Amino acid sequence: MKKIFLISIVGFSLFTSCRKEEINKIDGPSLEDLNGAFSVITGLQASQDSVDFAAGETVFFTAEIAKTTPWKLRVIGMTSGAEKIMTGTSKIIDASQTLWNGSTTNLPMFRAEICKVELTFPGLPDTLMTDVKIINPKVNAGFLITDFETGFNPGWTSFIQSGADMDFQIKSDVTAPEGNAYYNMAGTVDWDWLVGLINFKATAYSGATLFPLTSNPNNLYFNVMVYGEVGLTNSLVLFQFQEDEDANGTFDTATEDLYSHQITIDWTGWKLVSIKYSDIPCLVNGSPATANGNGQHNSDKINQINMLHLANPISGFAKSKLDYIIFTENGPLIP
Amino acid sequence: MRFTIYIAILLGSFSAFAQEGKKVQFVGGARSLLSHSDFTSQTDMEDTVTARKMTGGYALLDLGFKINPNATTEILGMIRIKNDFGGFWGSGVNFDVRQLYVKGVAANVLRYQIGNIDYKLSPYTFYNHNADMLVQSTASLKIKEDIVNYETFYKNNTWRQQGAAADFALKFPKVIQEMKFNGFITRMNPTNMTNILERFYGGGNITIVQSKYFTIGGNHVSVFDLKQTAASNDAYRNSVSTGTFASGMEFDKIKFGIDGETGFSNSFSSQDNEGKLSDYFVNAKLNVEAKKLGIKFNLGYMDNGADFRSAGAQSKRVDYNQVNNYYDRYTNAQIVRSLSMYDLYNDPTLYTSSINTGIMAYNPSINNALPYGTATFNRKGIYSTLSYEDKKKIVAVTATYYKLSEIRGQGTFNLKTFDYLKGNLVFDVSNLLKWKLKQIVNIGVAYQNTQRKSDLSFEKISLKSTTVNVGVELEIVKDLAILGNAFMFSSVGNEILPVRNDKGEIINFSPYIVDGQELNLSAGLKFNFSKDVYLACLYEQNKNNFNTLNPYNIKQLMLFYVMKF
Repeated sequence: MKKIFLISIVGFSLFTSCRKEEINKIDGPSLEDLNGAFSVITGLQASQDSVDFAAGETVFFTAEIAKTTPWKLRVIGMTSGAEKIMTGTSKIIDASQTLWNGSTTNLPMFRAEICKVELTFPGLPDTLMTDVKIINPKVNAGFLITDFETGFNPGWTSFIQSGADMDFQIKSDVTAPEGNAYYNMAGTVDWDWLVGLINFKATAYSGATLFPLTSNPNNLYFNVMVYGEVGLTNSLVLFQFQEDEDANGTFDTATEDLYSHQITIDWTGWKLVSIKYSDIPCLVNGSPATANGNGQHNSDKINQINMLHLANPISGFAKSKLDYIIFTENGPLIP
Repeated sequence: MRFTIYIAILLGSFSAFAQEGKKVQFVGGARSLLSHSDFTSQTDMEDTVTARKMTGGYALLDLGFKINPNATTEILGMIRIKNDFGGFWGSGVNFDVRQLYVKGVAANVLRYQIGNIDYKLSPYTFYNHNADMLVQSTASLKIKEDIVNYETFYKNNTWRQQGAAADFALKFPKVIQEMKFNGFITRMNPTNMTNILERFYGGGNITIVQSKYFTIGGNHVSVFDLKQTAASNDAYRNSVSTGTFASGMEFDKIKFGIDGETGFSNSFSSQDNEGKLSDYFVNAKLNVEAKKLGIKFNLGYMDNGADFRSAGAQSKRVDYNQVNNYYDRYTNAQIVRSLSMYDLYNDPTLYTSSINTGIMAYNPSINNALPYGTATFNRKGIYSTLSYEDKKKIVAVTATYYKLSEIRGQGTFNLKTFDYLKGNLVFDVSNLLKWKLKQIVNIGVAYQNTQRKSDLSFEKISLKSTTVNVGVELEIVKDLAILGNAFMFSSVGNEILPVRNDKGEIINFSPYIVDGQELNLSAGLKFNFSKDVYLACLYEQNKNNFNTLNPYNIKQLMLFYVMKF
């Protein structure tokens, strides 16, 4: 009896002494981080003064503050007005949160320019600042239909109604979302929906009858930057994709597929519109319809893209702008 | 074979199943409550929205059919018929199945029960801790607590579950006296065929009784999802394995003993390896009893790891996420009335009978030291109980003190400390004066003090709570007693409560500031028709100012008729 009792006491004493130390552990976020006083420990710094995004370089920004705080980092192009925004909640701001490859959050796209970098903390007056120079802006992979920087390609064709206040031309000013040029489409046509159009023919590029695009329509994205005019919501832009399925060099409306992406411009300012090619429907008078060809999205058989500016004839003056029409693979354009 | 083994049936004789000649018996209970209440909120503006006076009540009958088709089988089916007062021609009448089980003995060896089972194992594996009623109920408060316990099936710290249980024992002539085996399996929730898997809770224990001086046992329980019962593959598991022991020495005047439980837990989801939690606990105490003096003393140590999780032992009775059914909103702005001690004693629907695999909410003012009972995780420290009972049973007093702290800090390396003292004094005046009419005075006290010291003001915690209950039962003529209770609960200070996500991880903290008091005074008469049948009339007044801007006052007259048969 005594032995059992003593063994029990010794066993119990040994067991209770083996608790591992928990000195370096806490449960949950640090209260000091959540409630401590705000102060800047290390100011905002860029990892390099200048960056060549076109060469694949990146830049990141660092700072350290005394407590975990929500923050907002804005990179603003001093010439373009382009804006890149990164947000987070932390006390240490580092490359894992702020690595920048030259992309933009709000159009326009960055150019070769000086950028101002601001780090702000919602609800707090503190603003940390630095700057970084873009030597060359980011180059986007993909097949560029046009960015209008080199003027009107002689291989394209166009049709413009003879309405009132017609203004279909390439314009060049600082409001372009990419580069300096964009295509302006404006006018009043009170007898027809069509205001004007451009036909982007494959032959206008390398002489081939088909655009050099992937055959996988699920991996191909069509992207265009579209401008909505203040106070006008009557513009429609219709992109038609003609598939020369039999590769005979001509498109036959009756026997081949024509897919159409209609964009109703009901916003103000520049906006990137992206769509997967396989998601583009066949439309007849704006309504989904059965394609006349094989019914398959043959993205490698596109021989012409038509860009039509439409507006209800009773709606009066219509205006929109377009820029940077590009096909990308693996995902939508990240400008 | 060296030893002859005897197989024994546990827990009493099964002959009680079938009383001679009675194959069918009616068992159950009946209760009726009539209540009239008067609610006032003491705000600057008169409350013109809340209905001030309310009258209601119900009558219910729990009618059970206990069928004994043979000497070793018992079937119980119990239905509840409840009629809220005011219902007419069937309106307001509810019919429910309250209990259903089959139990019996197979081959004179294995005792089993299928259907509703009331089950517990050890305090760290499967145990229904009462962590919110810290003082012993007496008089009018006891009537209410008994009703809560009856409605929720809380008895002897068991959980009411649906499933199956079995037990048997082996007796040995030498070395070991007895080996007891228990096992159970219950269904916690059914699958929804999409993202919720079929969940079960099962386990068992083995207890080896070497002699009256040494007993050792092993317990294992596990919550587990059955894969392939839904489209989801994210199966949850919480396993707890523990060992229990008790040994002692006995002399003429004094008795020594040591007992305790130790074990570990593992909790994880099959698709979240990073969220896996494992930890262990130790809880043991030394016991001393001075037999002739009527004094018992124990000194214990507990160390419950911060990541120790045991669904069956850490599920709370009270679901603090529920809202009141009674005066749930008040004032002209119709603010929500928070759960109070008054509600915990009056409303059985605030309680749950299910095992919860998450970390349930608790009220730090009521119990911050051990919100999940003895199995509360992240606690270590010592505790001690001193009790005394005189031979004439005039005075019985017991006091327990816990000196605990966290093991791992919450949001800081500074640890909270907890002082928890609870005591109870029963003074039997009738035994003192040798009266035949029972005259009992009962005083219960619980005091908790939580502190966290820090140089940073936002980390500091100081929370003090006191619960006191003084109850009297004075039998004035045979079977007729005057009941009286003065119950006070107060709390003042601050806490910083963890905000947890679905996985139980702390994602934020919420400040908790309290300075309030609840006072409940009640008195009444109780007439016992027999041991199991009584009529009681109670009047109570409850003042609550935990909401300092909107304190309120409830006056209530209640008439109870309670019968068990």
